[in-house]
Amino acid sequence: MRYSFVGALLVAGALLASARSATAQDVRAQLLERGAPAEFADQVAAVVASAGAEQLPTEPLVSKALEGWAKRARVPQDRVITALNQYVVRLRTGRDIALEVGFNGAPGPVIAAAAEAVGRGMTRAQITQVMGSAGEPAAAATGLTVASALMAQGLEAEAAIRVVDDAFRGGRPPEDILEFPSALTGLQAQGEDMAQIARRIMQGGGLPSPTAPGMGGRGNRPPTVPGMSGEGQKKRKGTSGGQ
Amino acid sequence: MREEQRLSPEAHSYLDGESAGGIGPEDRGAAQRFEQAIQAYASSLKRPDAAVDRAVMAAVRADARHARRQSVWRWLVSPHLFNVRPALVAAAAVALIVFGRVLIDVPGPGDRSPGAEAAAQTTILVRFELRAPDAHRVTLAGSFNEWSPDGVELARNAATGLWTATVPLKPGEHEYLFIIDGSQWIPDPNAHAQVDDGFGQANSVIVVGPRGVVRS
Repeated sequence: MRYSFVGALLVAGALLASARSATAQDVRAQLLERGAPAEFADQVAAVVASAGAEQLPTEPLVSKALEGWAKRARVPQDRVITALNQYVVRLRTGRDIALEVGFNGAPGPVIAAAAEAVGRGMTRAQITQVMGSAGEPAAAATGLTVASALMAQGLEAEAAIRVVDDAFRGGRPPEDILEFPSALTGLQAQGEDMAQIARRIMQGGGLPSPTAPGMGGRGNRPPTVPGMSGEGQKKRKGTSGGQ
Repeated sequence: MREEQRLSPEAHSYLDGESAGGIGPEDRGAAQRFEQAIQAYASSLKRPDAAVDRAVMAAVRADARHARRQSVWRWLVSPHLFNVRPALVAAAAVALIVFGRVLIDVPGPGDRSPGAEAAAQTTILVRFELRAPDAHRVTLAGSFNEWSPDGVELARNAATGLWTATVPLKPGEHEYLFIIDGSQWIPDPNAHAQVDDGFGQANSVIVVGPRGVVRS
């Protein structure tokens, strides 16, 4: 087999570049498949490819683009592109904070969680605090997701950060922290207001487990549905109440 | 030089070190005079300056480096004949894919703690409900189904007007909306929270823990 070594290097580079832009091509194909015009799909693919070239996670951008197109009846296409570009800015901020904290390589999930937290009003110092107390990227991603969800539920930012911070410092695993939004809803269903809950958190009281006796409300978790447990998967039943 | 022209063959042999014994006194004398003349000329020559020596050697070394660079470039741009083992090519392709995967930052199992990994593999069945007695069709679109408007269809209880669907979700946060009759996007009043969707409107949010969800 006779060939130019430089040519082989170029082919290898092109293969790598095509792998990097695979997500951009995927979202373009998905949008076209859903009936989006080619010009819009190209604009979205360009934003996604550009983010990928910056080593930013592209999955949240793809999801946001598909969401924007699904809502096309009330969201114009240029609004979608603007939202994507704003998302890229938040992702850059999230990556910068993750690198400052010392998360080498700044894994995608923690960048995405930090970007979401920025979008929901968490400050750079608050994000840094949660990342620092989590100690590692995956836990930090969970901590940021939960803290920003608690804030969206109406808990004061200081209390939302404190309860996540205390949990990490107390050695609780990220899976437990994911229960906090349900716990907060349970406390509200018992009649506690957010100010009371925030005070208790700031006094070091934390949040109870949502499975604790007395937790309830219309949406309390029912027992596991018989026959729902599958091999290799733990399937449990969550619930929601009626309107 | 003129002296050399007068040297006999015997004197030449003597100077070449070939015959020391069979040479006559006259030839020996001529050869010795010739040797002395050579030595006198050699001692009259000046030794070159050390700086000149260093400059010459530096130029020689620089030329050698340039030649090596040219040689590498020539090797790169010239055709070569390679014997390739298919198994090694396959291994290199796998390595390239793995390397590419790292570069495009796709999160892998190593990016999660063992607990988070186990949680990510867990599937939680979450029941969604919406009371909409006048609706003809209710579906659910969210981050868990790539916002497909037809992804999850809710079933109606005709007596109560309650629409329900049970959806397997991974632990973590999910954003979603209900869609009534294919066109009206509405938030879930029982969600954990409502958040800005980035387009100036709102999405509902639930955070699914490994033990399920509690909502209002």
